[in-house]
Amino acid sequence: MNPLDGVRADRRRFLELAGLGALTIAGSGLLAACGDAKTSSGPGTTDKNQLAKILPAYVPSTAALTPDIPSAPGANGFFSTPVYLKYPASPVATVTGVPGKGGSYTTMTPLWGSIPSSKGNTYYDTVNAALGADLKMQPADGVNYDKILPPLFAGSKLPDWLMIPSWNMGNLGFADAVNKFADLGPYLSGDAIKAYPNLAAIPTGAWQSCIWNGKLFGLPTYYSAASAGGAIFYRADIFRQLGIDANSIKTPADLEGIAKQLTDPKAGRWAFGDIFDYTAHIFHFPGDPYRWTVDASGKVVNRYEMPEYLEALNWFAKQAKAGYVHPDALAGKKEEGKQRFWSGKEVITGDGTGGWAGSDAESGKAANPSYEKQAFKLLAADGKPAMPMNPASSMYSFLNGKLSADQIKEVLSIANYLAAPYGSTEWLTVNFGKEGVDYTMTGGNPKLTEKGSKEVATTYQFLVTPVTPVPVTPGYEQVAKDYAAWEADMVKHAVKPAFYGMNITEPAQYANLNQPMVDVSIDVRYGRKPISAFTDALQTWKSSGGEELRKFYEDVKNKYGTGQ
Amino acid sequence: MTAIHEAPPAAATPPAPPTRAERRVLRKADRRRRFLRDRSLVLMTLPAIALVLVFNYAPMFGTVTAFQSYSIYAGFWHSPWTGLTTFQRLFNDPYFWHALENTLTLSLVQLVLFFPVPILLALLLNTVLSTKIRTFVQSVVYLPHFFSWVLAITIFQQMLGGAGALNQFLRAHDMSTWNIMTNPDTFKLLVTAQVVWKEAGWGIIVFLAALAAIDTQLYEAAAADGAGRWRRMWHITLPGIRSIVVLMLVLQLGNVLTIGFEQMLIQRFAVGRDASEVLDTYAYFYGVVNANFSLGAAASLFKGVLSLILILTANKVAHLFGEDGLYRR
Amino acid sequence: MTATSLATAAEKTRRNRNRPAWEEPPTAAGQTGKGAVLVFIVLVVLIPLYMVVLTSFSTQGSINQAGGMVLVPHGITVEAYRQIFTNNLVISSLIASFGITVAGTAISVLVTVLCAYGLSRNRSWGHRVILMLLVVTMFFNGGLIPTFMVVAGLGGYDNYWSMILPGAVSVFNILVMRGFFANTSRDLIDAAYMDGAGEWRILTRIVLPTSRAVVAVISLFYAVGYWNTFFNALLYLPDNQKWPLQLVIYTYTLQGNPMPGTGVTQTGTYFGTQQIAPLSIQMAVVTLTLIPILVIYPFVQRHFAKGMLLGAVKG
Repeated sequence: MNPLDGVRADRRRFLELAGLGALTIAGSGLLAACGDAKTSSGPGTTDKNQLAKILPAYVPSTAALTPDIPSAPGANGFFSTPVYLKYPASPVATVTGVPGKGGSYTTMTPLWGSIPSSKGNTYYDTVNAALGADLKMQPADGVNYDKILPPLFAGSKLPDWLMIPSWNMGNLGFADAVNKFADLGPYLSGDAIKAYPNLAAIPTGAWQSCIWNGKLFGLPTYYSAASAGGAIFYRADIFRQLGIDANSIKTPADLEGIAKQLTDPKAGRWAFGDIFDYTAHIFHFPGDPYRWTVDASGKVVNRYEMPEYLEALNWFAKQAKAGYVHPDALAGKKEEGKQRFWSGKEVITGDGTGGWAGSDAESGKAANPSYEKQAFKLLAADGKPAMPMNPASSMYSFLNGKLSADQIKEVLSIANYLAAPYGSTEWLTVNFGKEGVDYTMTGGNPKLTEKGSKEVATTYQFLVTPVTPVPVTPGYEQVAKDYAAWEADMVKHAVKPAFYGMNITEPAQYANLNQPMVDVSIDVRYGRKPISAFTDALQTWKSSGGEELRKFYEDVKNKYGTGQ
Repeated sequence: MTAIHEAPPAAATPPAPPTRAERRVLRKADRRRRFLRDRSLVLMTLPAIALVLVFNYAPMFGTVTAFQSYSIYAGFWHSPWTGLTTFQRLFNDPYFWHALENTLTLSLVQLVLFFPVPILLALLLNTVLSTKIRTFVQSVVYLPHFFSWVLAITIFQQMLGGAGALNQFLRAHDMSTWNIMTNPDTFKLLVTAQVVWKEAGWGIIVFLAALAAIDTQLYEAAAADGAGRWRRMWHITLPGIRSIVVLMLVLQLGNVLTIGFEQMLIQRFAVGRDASEVLDTYAYFYGVVNANFSLGAAASLFKGVLSLILILTANKVAHLFGEDGLYRR
Repeated sequence: MTATSLATAAEKTRRNRNRPAWEEPPTAAGQTGKGAVLVFIVLVVLIPLYMVVLTSFSTQGSINQAGGMVLVPHGITVEAYRQIFTNNLVISSLIASFGITVAGTAISVLVTVLCAYGLSRNRSWGHRVILMLLVVTMFFNGGLIPTFMVVAGLGGYDNYWSMILPGAVSVFNILVMRGFFANTSRDLIDAAYMDGAGEWRILTRIVLPTSRAVVAVISLFYAVGYWNTFFNALLYLPDNQKWPLQLVIYTYTLQGNPMPGTGVTQTGTYFGTQQIAPLSIQMAVVTLTLIPILVIYPFVQRHFAKGMLLGAVKG
C-alpha cells in the first residue's frame, strides 16, 4: 500500500515532518550570495504598496442571501462564517449564457476520497455542459500529491489547470515554480476583475495569499474570513457525566486540574490526546505555518527561542509523565485520534475546525447516542485569549503558462461560473450535479443520491470556490450552530500574526535547520528527554544557521513589513 | 567432461611459462573461442541488459545532481555545479553518522535474529508430510507480508501498546504494565520482532523451492544406509540448500543499508529520532521533504557505493569458503 | 484452525500416505512439538487477520465500542464492501490490473529465465561483466525525477507500458533464479551435450522442467509486484479510467479524511451522510488485497511437491 499511510493527511503533522511551512521567499538579492542557494529569483513576498496595485477589486455579490446565523464581526477585521440552515427554495442565476467557448482543458486536483469514474459520470457531464467546455477532471491522490508534483514540473507534464495546496509547496521552491504559471494580473488586477463578477466577490484576503513575486498567480479555494489553526475539543457528554463545567476551564492549569479526574486507565480512558500542536494559541507562540514572530522589543524571534514555547513543552511533558495522555497518542498514532475520541478513550483532543461537522457527530453517536463534541472557548496561559489567524486561503489553483491569452480568458469565465455563490443555481450544479439524478432536495437541503455519492467528488471546487458557509448536514444542524457560536466568540480574539499571509520562501540552505528542533521537541514533550536537551539543541540551531535565518526575516520585515 | 563447460584454458598452454605477449594472444584466442561457444548464452541476456540500460542506466544521469545545487526548474543542464560541497556537508553532519550507525546495528541485529528464521521455518514445514497442512500454514504465514507497515504497527500497538490488549489485561489484574512500543532502549528488538512477524512467512518461499529441488533418491539411499532423521537433515538437506542460503545471505548483506524506511518513519514519534533514524529516513527528512534533491542524491550515492562494496566483499568471502555467492568463481 | 483440529490433523499425518516407505514413523514428542510451533505461528497471524476481516464487516458502533480494530463483534454490515463494489471503476480497473499482471509477469519471467540461464554457466564468456552490470543497478538509481523524465520522454506518460517495462527486470530475481539453475544436475546437462543439444534445447527440456519450483516462486514474486503496482500508476497514469484496482480501492481508505488545513471535510461537508466508518473501509481494502494473494498460493505450492522434479526429466 502507500508508503506514507502513517503520515497521512494531517497537515499539522505534515508540516512538522516536512520541517517547512507554506513559506516561499525567493528573495531577489536577499542572501543571494550564499553558496548553495537555489537558482531562485525573488523573496516570493510582496510589500503593501505593490499589493495595492495587484489586488483585484472587491465587489460583494448581489445574490447575497440573509443567513440564518449571520456573520459576527470580530477583532482586526476578521469575521465569523455565516450559517444557512436551508438552501433557498428558488435559487438565482448569477451567470448568463455559457461561459466556455468549447475549449478543452486538462486539470489536476488532489482528492482525499474515493475516485469517481469519469465515464458515464452525469455530474462531470452536467457541469461541463453548463460550462460549455470540456474540463478533463483528473483527481490525484491528495496524500501522495507532494511526491507527484516535482516530477511533473521537471518533466514538463503539467496539466492546463492545476491545484496546489500550500502545504505541498515546501518541496517545490515555490517562488520559482510560479514561473511555470500564467500571470493573472492583467486579467484580474484592480477593476479588470469586474468582468468576472463572481470572482470579484472573493474577499481581498483570499486574493492576497495568491500573490508571489509581486504577481497574481493563484485562484483561491476554500478560504475563510477567520481561519483558525484548530481548537481544543472535549467530550461534553463525559464532562456532564463527571460534573465538570467546561466554562470554568480557562487556563492550562485548569485543564491539568481536571486531568486526574478524567483519566481512568483501567476503563481505557485518558484525559488527553496529543494536543501539543493545538496549544500554540494558549501559550502564545506562533504555530504552523508561522514559525517566526516579532517580540515586544521589535526583534524577530523564532518560536523555539520563546519562553512561551518552553512553557508549553514543560506543561505537556508534565501531563505525559503523569500518565494523563493516551499511550497511543504518545506512540505517535495520531491517525486514530478521531477514533479514540469517538470511543471516549480520549476526552480532550485537538483538531482542525473542519473536523467539527455533522459526519463527526454521526460517527460519534454510532455507539453512544449521547456523544457530544464541543470546543473550549479560547484558553490562555496568561488569561488573555488570542487566536492567530492562518492565511485566508491555503489552497490555490494555477493556469499553465503555456495557455494563450484567449484560453486564459475562457478559463477565467469558467472560473467565474465555478465561483458562483451559495444560494445560486450554478452553485448547486457545481457542487451537486444534476437534480433528480445526482441529488434531490431533502428537507430544504440538497442531498446526494446513491448515484450522486459515487459520481460527485471535490474536483471542480478545487479549481476555485466562492465564499463557503458553515457546512450543514441534514439532521445535525445543532453541530453547525455550535460551531458558529464558538467561532463568533473566537473571532473577538482574532489577531494577525507576524508575516501574516506573506507567502515567504525561506532560502533553501536553511531547510534542514528545523528538523532537529522538531525531533528534540517531540522527545521533550513526550517526556523522553529533559528540557535541557531542548535548550542545548537550540544553541546548535542558532550557531548553525538560526541567526542567519533571523537576519533573513529581519530583512523581510524591513523591506516588506510583517503583513499587519 | 566435455570441453564445453569445464574447458580449462590452462591445460591448453605449453608447460613452459609463456611470455606476456604470448599470454595475451592466448587469452584473446581463448576469449574468442569462448564467445563463439557461448554466444547463444550471451544472446539470452540481451533483453534484460536492454531493459536495464534504458530504465536503470539512462536515469543515472540524475546522479550528477549530487555534485550540483539541483533545482527542478533549472534542470540538469543549468543547475550550478558545487563539486563535493554536498558530500562535505553530509560527512560533517553528526546526524548522518548517527543514522549510519543505527542502520548498521539494526542490520546486524536482524541478520542474527531474523535471517535464520525463514530457513528454520522452511525446514520445519518441509517435515510436515500433509500437503494440506503445509499449504495452509504457508498460505497463512505469508499474508502479513502484504499488510502495509502502518497496519502491521497498528496491530502491534493494539496488542502490545500502552493501552493495548496485553497492558489492559495487566491493569485489570493490578499488575505493572509493560512498555514496549515506546521504549527506545528495546526498540531494535521490537523492530526485529515486527520484521519477523511480517516477513518471515514470505522469506520461507525461496527456501521451500530450494528444498523441493533436492533429489529424493538421496534421502532414500541414506535411509537405506541407516541414517536417521537428523543425520539426513545434516548430510542431505542442509548441503542441498546451502548454496541458496549463501546466496540469500550475500544479497542480504548488500541490503544492510536499506532498513525498513516506512517502519522507522511510522515509529519515529513513538521512540524519537535517536532510536529510529536510519539512512533512508535521514535522506527523507533532510533531502526529499525539503526539495534538497542534491543531498538526497549524495546520500543515495554514498549508500550505493557502500552497498556495492559490501555485497562484493560478501561475495569474495563466500568464494573463500568455497561457496558460489552471486556467481561461481 | 484450533489446536484440537490441528491435533487430529497430526493424527492423520501419522498414517500419512505421503510418507515414503523408507521414512521412520514420527515420534509423539516430535509431533507434539512440531504441532505446537505450527499452531503458535498460525495463531500469531490468524488473530490479527481475523480482526482485520471482522473490522471490515463492522458497523461504526461496533468499532467505537472496540476503540479500534474489533475483536468481539457488536454489529455486522457489508456496507463497506457495497460502497467499494458499486464504484464504476472497479470492473475496468480489475481488467487493467489483470492485464498488467499477466502481461508484466509473462515479460518479466521470460526475460528473467533467459538472463538467469545465460549467466548460469561457469566461465562463460562475459558472464561476470554482465552480472556486474546488473548488480550495480541494485544499488544505484537516478532517483524519481530522472526516471520519470526517461519514461515520459519515451512516451510512457499516460500509457500502460510504463506500468510494466521500467520495473520488468528484478536483478534480485535473476540472481536467485541463476542460483537455482546453477544447481541443476550437471550430469543431465552433460548428457544432453553429448546428444548434441544446443543451449535453447537444454534450457527448455532440462533446466526448466527441473526448476519448476523456482520458476513458480519467481512468477509469484513478479505477479504480486505487478498486482500491487501503486505508486507508478499514480505517477504515470493521470487518467483515472486507466487506474489499476489497487489504486482505485486505495482511494477508499482516504474516505472521510479531512482535507488538511481547511475547514472542509471531504465527506461531511456537502455530501450528506456517510454511514460507513473509515476504519471498516480501510480494513475492507486490506481484505480485498489479500484475497488474490490467498488464492494464488496453492497454485505455487503445487510445484513444490517433492520428487516430481527429477522425474519430469528422467521419465
